[in-house]
Amino acid sequence: MTIALVGNPNSGKSSLFNQLTGLRQKTGNFPGVTVEKKSGKLKLPGGKTVKIIDLPGAYSLYPTSQDERIVLNVLTNPKDENYPDAIVYVADITNLEKHLLLLTQIRDLGIPCLLALNMSDIAEKQNMKVNEQKLAGFLKMPVISVSGRTGSKVAVLKEKMGELLGSPSVHKKPFYPFNEVEKKTGGRIQAALKIENPYRAKLIAHHYNKLPFLSENEKKEIANICEAEKFQNLRLQISETMQRFETFVPALRSAIQQKGSGPVFTDRIDAVLTHKTFAPLIFFVIMFFVFQAIYAWATYPMELIDGGFAMLGEWVRQTLPAGWFTDLLTDGVLAGLGGILIFIPQIAILFLLIGILEEVGYMSRAVYIFDKLMQQFGLNGRSVVALVSGGACAIPAIMSTRTIGNWKERLITIMVTPLISCSARIPVYAILIGLVVPDGTVMGIFNLQGLAFMGLYLLGIVAALLSAFVFKKILKSDEKSFLMMKMPTYRWPVWRNVWQNIYQKVMAFVVEAGRVIMVISVVLWVLASYGPATAMEEAERSALATAKAQSLNEAETADLMAARKIEASFAGHLGKAMEPAIKPLGFDWKIGIALLTSFAAREVFVGTMATIYSIGSTDEETSVRDKLAAARNPETGAKVYSAATAMSLLIFYVFAMQCMSTVAVVRRETGSWKWPAIQFFYMGLLAYLGSLLTYQLMS
Amino acid sequence: MESPISKLKKGMKGKIARFTDEMMAGKLMCMGVLPGSLVKVIRKAPFHGGFYLKIDGYNMVLREQEAANIVLTMEGKK
Repeated sequence: MTIALVGNPNSGKSSLFNQLTGLRQKTGNFPGVTVEKKSGKLKLPGGKTVKIIDLPGAYSLYPTSQDERIVLNVLTNPKDENYPDAIVYVADITNLEKHLLLLTQIRDLGIPCLLALNMSDIAEKQNMKVNEQKLAGFLKMPVISVSGRTGSKVAVLKEKMGELLGSPSVHKKPFYPFNEVEKKTGGRIQAALKIENPYRAKLIAHHYNKLPFLSENEKKEIANICEAEKFQNLRLQISETMQRFETFVPALRSAIQQKGSGPVFTDRIDAVLTHKTFAPLIFFVIMFFVFQAIYAWATYPMELIDGGFAMLGEWVRQTLPAGWFTDLLTDGVLAGLGGILIFIPQIAILFLLIGILEEVGYMSRAVYIFDKLMQQFGLNGRSVVALVSGGACAIPAIMSTRTIGNWKERLITIMVTPLISCSARIPVYAILIGLVVPDGTVMGIFNLQGLAFMGLYLLGIVAALLSAFVFKKILKSDEKSFLMMKMPTYRWPVWRNVWQNIYQKVMAFVVEAGRVIMVISVVLWVLASYGPATAMEEAERSALATAKAQSLNEAETADLMAARKIEASFAGHLGKAMEPAIKPLGFDWKIGIALLTSFAAREVFVGTMATIYSIGSTDEETSVRDKLAAARNPETGAKVYSAATAMSLLIFYVFAMQCMSTVAVVRRETGSWKWPAIQFFYMGLLAYLGSLLTYQLMS
Repeated sequence: MESPISKLKKGMKGKIARFTDEMMAGKLMCMGVLPGSLVKVIRKAPFHGGFYLKIDGYNMVLREQEAANIVLTMEGKK
């Protein structure tokens, strides 16, 4: 048995869903689309366990968004796997007049239904009262006030749900009486498709073109019927909507005993938060704090995870006998696992803060504030949140784009977000800027290195916006983009919703993106630790000979060995094979290896450089920098890291998609390998051309 | 006097007389924006963006081209 929660956006459906299912829920996607599907299990008072589905928010069965289309597809197709046996219709009790249209449509479809008047706690505060019995009598269905926020009367709701499943469905007089055209068209479609419910036939007449469950033949047949009967799609939709409102609004008004005071508080806050001049400023101040919090709070747990995995690796190395298996376990599997878990603090903190802003109602305001600006670049008001979050980490930023309703705008946001410089680029920037930019000041106050940092960040932002503009021109979409949005009243967050959101986001990352990351890190490990057998042996022998000749101590010998080995490995060979391609950018094969291994995560660049220059045991950024500064080309004697090379490398790191975790997340969020592949190549191309230009101009 | 919302200034108000685009009308009506609804322009968005409106006591935002499809009748000055 399946019960679906249906209601308008902002009806508090998710809170109620969380109340009903608790942690017994799972998320997935509706077939073929990337609209999130939440379902869970609920044990009814009678002992029966039912499946609860949280259908996306919708205003009516005349869809204008992907979310609404799903509701229509499910509710007009009894063979759909998500087709409910009964519906709990959730409506915001303080906004009832605007929330009941869809309910009357659902009742005409003949699906057993009850009305849950949600947010009763807020209605109480506003001194608002609804006569439930009167309303129930008019709607001919059970009506019950609940609160998804406080959990009040949820137990009663469960009882009613049980009764609803047990009650036989009776034919009720429809809310909307058909006119002659509708009767004739509907009747013919009912006969042709053997449909019992007249309203379902009417909806099919309206939407047959886009209903996935109809065959081509059926579509043709319906098209013929509609044409023959002169079925005027839009006209009839409007007259139906009008008539429904005219029927239920008077009845509703008589059932509301006391009118609430309205959202005065919200109006006062919005006078400031959506102010024409101050609003963007306030937004950036808020985002600045979000950003600071991520840096400040995530650093410590990230160091713990990092240190923990280092210790674990060390312990495994000590405990197990040395050999390829131990190496695979420590440098492949454990390193990969650590590389996945290290992102959890950032993901959790970002979604904690974004979740609070969303729950409170601020996010809708952000959309309104930036809508016009973002539109110019083919983005959505909500994209601004993803772009700003991308400054911390692209992974949670991309996951946060789920709130963008328009697919094209969401896709563009996903495609350009990794161009924003994330925190993983900082160590690379720090080393290379330290190499080429003198540590002085200009005009007495501006730190030169700081300016260089800012320049790189700006470059990323500009590249993201321009790329978005190009995608806007290339990508085609027949989905219309709307702003048209109700502003929710400001409310105190429901913590249960916030926690559940964090939990789901973290799990989605660990489980789904984690698998891809794991595979890639093992592959990278194989590439960096294995090579043609003779070459590897030769490297080992020569390293030992050199160590003996220079009488190096144990640590120095190990470092040298690692350096020679990575040179002889497959990664080394790849680096050397790459050299002709990257030479015009000013890179040698050593940088080539680092570029390859950085794909695991950008900050790996530092570690790889340390290994190649055989200082593996000291992971300090300053010692890597000194080593790089001293490196010279063995043939010409010229510095390897000239200003031109270092700048070129910096530009490369600004643009290139060197993060397998992001690739994995993009695949998950877009549902195919196509988009991450396109993203990888366009960003790679930007990086290559950018570096080429920089090096050729500077050298 | 009649005017599309997109031409209104902050603080102006009126009653919805009609919609000039059927598709837009369909969507707006589903959200409860109906002929006869009372509309007041509360403010406009930054960057020459959309309209922040109060419609029958609810707060709602629209893009300029969306607002252009809603015609209001306004009392007073002709």
